[in-house]
Amino acid sequence: MPTTTRTFTLVNTAVYLAQVVMGAMADILADLGVDLTELYRDWERDESAIRAWIQEQSLKEVVLECHRPDGTVSPVIEFPVVYYPDGIADARFTTQRASLARFRAKLERVPRGTTFRLFCTFLKHPAPQSGWGPGSRSSTEGLRSLSFGSLATGPHGAVAMRYLR
Amino acid sequence: MQRHREIAAAPLRSTPEVWKIVSQLVADTLDRSPEISRRDIEATLEIARPAGLLLIAGGHLDKAPMVLVAGAVHLSITTVSGDAALQLEENFNPVPGAAGTSEWTLYLPTPEPVSSEIRRIANGCPHLSAKEPPGSTSATAKSESIVLDRDAFLRRR
Repeated sequence: MPTTTRTFTLVNTAVYLAQVVMGAMADILADLGVDLTELYRDWERDESAIRAWIQEQSLKEVVLECHRPDGTVSPVIEFPVVYYPDGIADARFTTQRASLARFRAKLERVPRGTTFRLFCTFLKHPAPQSGWGPGSRSSTEGLRSLSFGSLATGPHGAVAMRYLR
Repeated sequence: MQRHREIAAAPLRSTPEVWKIVSQLVADTLDRSPEISRRDIEATLEIARPAGLLLIAGGHLDKAPMVLVAGAVHLSITTVSGDAALQLEENFNPVPGAAGTSEWTLYLPTPEPVSSEIRRIANGCPHLSAKEPPGSTSATAKSESIVLDRDAFLRRR
């Protein structure tokens, strides 16, 4: 039986997962009607940082916080990352885009003037990335968590999604 | 003449890298017309950039094309994501047919949930449109399939 070999690197997985996270955040914010100007402005920098941190396997999760005009923070969307250090030979690059579209229907609407903030948390000390510095996440105490499950997978890792409101 | 170009996205390229290739392809295709200023093209593509990022990263451009119409040029551009992106044979050569024209429009698809954002971006520029591109059969095909489905449903009742 003929065989073929496919070689995927951790770089491929990092590029893929970073793009899926950016795309999912953009879809969610657009759906909520949140102003995307800052997302566009920093897109290259943010996608590059997320990719680099996945590649070095330091990234624990990306966190998207929605800050309402009254000072409350809700919803919060978390994108936890898991790694397969040796890679999974027959794993494919997949994204649950149809499920994400259905999931968006569950998103709580936000008032006009709501803004967003991005955070990353880490498993180990990350390499510095342009435009990123220390910050403090808002408390998620009192928020209810709803798990989306796996959002995207690649041979060297996967990203899930959790929705807190 | 209708042409189609596919561009490999992730896991081969990041979103901004893909947009750079899309921009270059559009600019090089339009550059064949001395009637169209390069500065005008670049300014339009800068305005379209946020729409491009949304469409590429969300995987929307995998399914719904961006269409450049200029003179004899009718160029559909889509992306390919996932495993298929790593095996894609790409052609970045500019498409002939724009020479002698001064009119051009880049039609942006408007998938949900980014449709209103795409329309807002397109409204800001005379060379961008969020409408159905001319020569597209998708709108007609969709309405025909709806009628057929409804008829079939009525017959069953």
